[in-house]
Amino acid sequence: MTGTRAQRDGYDVGLHLLDRQIIGADDRLVAKVDDVELTLDDDGALVPTALLVGLPALLPRFGPRLGSGLARAHRLVREAAADQAQPLIIDLDLVAEVTSDVRLTRPAHGLLRRMDQRRAEDPRRCRVGDLLGLPVRCAALPRRSKVLDLRMVGAPGSAGPHRVTALIVGPGRPGALFGYDRRSEPGPAVVGSVARWLHRHARVVDLDEAVRIDREVGEVGEVYVGADASLHPLRG
Amino acid sequence: MKRYFAVLLGVLTAIGGFVDIGDLVTNAQVGARFGTSLVWVVVFGVVGICVFAEMSGRIAAVSRRATFDLVRERLGPRIGFLNLVGSMLVTLLTFIAEIGGVALALQLVSSVHHVLLVPFVAAAVWIVLWRARFSSIENVLGLMGLTLIGFAVALWQLGPDWSELAAGLAPAEKPAAESWATYAFFGVALFGAAMTPYEVFFFSSGGVEEHWSDKDIGVMRANVLIGFPLGGILSVAIAACAATVYLPEGIAVETLGQVGLPVAVGLGKIGLAVVVLGFFAATFGAACETGLSTGYSLAQYFGFQWGKFVRPKEAAGFHIILLLATVLAAGVLLTGVDPIMVTEISVVFSAVALPLTYFPILVVANDPDYLGEHVNGPVANALGVFYLVVITIAALAAIPLMVATSMGQG
Repeated sequence: MTGTRAQRDGYDVGLHLLDRQIIGADDRLVAKVDDVELTLDDDGALVPTALLVGLPALLPRFGPRLGSGLARAHRLVREAAADQAQPLIIDLDLVAEVTSDVRLTRPAHGLLRRMDQRRAEDPRRCRVGDLLGLPVRCAALPRRSKVLDLRMVGAPGSAGPHRVTALIVGPGRPGALFGYDRRSEPGPAVVGSVARWLHRHARVVDLDEAVRIDREVGEVGEVYVGADASLHPLRG
Repeated sequence: MKRYFAVLLGVLTAIGGFVDIGDLVTNAQVGARFGTSLVWVVVFGVVGICVFAEMSGRIAAVSRRATFDLVRERLGPRIGFLNLVGSMLVTLLTFIAEIGGVALALQLVSSVHHVLLVPFVAAAVWIVLWRARFSSIENVLGLMGLTLIGFAVALWQLGPDWSELAAGLAPAEKPAAESWATYAFFGVALFGAAMTPYEVFFFSSGGVEEHWSDKDIGVMRANVLIGFPLGGILSVAIAACAATVYLPEGIAVETLGQVGLPVAVGLGKIGLAVVVLGFFAATFGAACETGLSTGYSLAQYFGFQWGKFVRPKEAAGFHIILLLATVLAAGVLLTGVDPIMVTEISVVFSAVALPLTYFPILVVANDPDYLGEHVNGPVANALGVFYLVVITIAALAAIPLMVATSMGQG
């Protein structure tokens, strides 16, 4: 199913990986994929490196204001604990297969480790949840445009390159496309055409030199898409 | 042979398991006040629950994803959480109402006040949730619930004027004393009672519990498409009994005893005893289903181990939630709140929570990543979209109607 699809034409992180059930090699339910850690490697590519689990990963995804408020409240619940703010991690190497769930190569027992302080502060690492919803500045797109999803090449658990190749940008809310941009025979025709009409201005932007992700601008950061960036329509 | 037996058992338990305290009370109230003029809503609601239960069962069989998994995957953490809060409220209210319903059924037999029975009922429900096997809960209580067929037999024995009952089926035959607003309010309540979201949470999670695979889709379909409509006929029989006995006298139904009384009129003491056993089984079964559903939805939102297919200590979080929910339900009932009123509120709020549950099911039922070749056909999609529109209208109308009619008093 998705495993083979993902290997054939890549996958969208928000649609195909976030919020899926993680299952250990012993068939035990472990957790949900609450967020995904990305690392900027030496070639300048954004590579997924770990699945993040637990309230410190989940709560910030409730939106910029509500999310940070909830995360702060969660930290205050046990202020004395130094690692209260850090999520639990599962290295992406442990993922065997991604279908409608995420299968691991190891049994669930004692699998999750707390992220250490040094890793959490590493400036080259960021979370998918922080990138989704970032404002996009681009002359060719409406002003309210945001990052809606990240498109990947490769698949967890398979050989070959595995990195972010493009951003899906446009007005709207991350996750509201419901996958209607990817399917050749979309579901109820009415729902599909409404979803596509709402996202008629959305585009796929290749992640190259013309695109700059700046986390320091404004409250949350922004994505600057230059004039020579290559924009494609959602399908085809 | 084994397969036919599985279909038969599944259909029988689906019939018995379809009716819960919400259906019992709402149908009898509506029958007593509106005759058979709202029966079309029950039929309409039963078709709706069949459409979405079949989709969620198919998704569970092929991809082993239960409904709240889909809610989180398709709506994301924020809107998914909104749905979690809404459906937890509804499911907990229903759970409270069902435990109260068991206590009321036992009060009919023992004449002990139901508040005194609540702690024992709650303890019994919890022990069943903790110890009993999933299939035993479903089969034993579902088969016992079949005794509610007594209503259909009683209706025949009451010998109503069938042509009058049939003529009353048209919505225009609404009794003149009732306003269209109250008519619409009870319509939404009946619709909510037939389509309560916990039914799909329980049905799809049950599919995962029983390790359905794509080979079981046929059996699952038979259970839904035969069992649910036959359960709906029981609902209609309850309404028709109340219409025959109470409507001419202008009596309103306010207690569970009144729901069963037409059977005593038609069939005497034995009939009443059989039907009270049915009350007990239906409400006890639904208490188990709603109790499990609170655990299912929380666990499926946060991703921790759930289910009765593993030993309780391997799903400790899930079983702690079941225990807390049972204690909470008993606590609420011990305040002396009327379980019938809790039921009325729960069916109205369930109408509000419906759209956010059924929309993700419809989207995923079309996703070949989940379902491969088993995606929705054109008929399921047409019905799904149509019902989604109706559900949304009912959800928007429910609260204003509740306020405008003072919960059907006006």
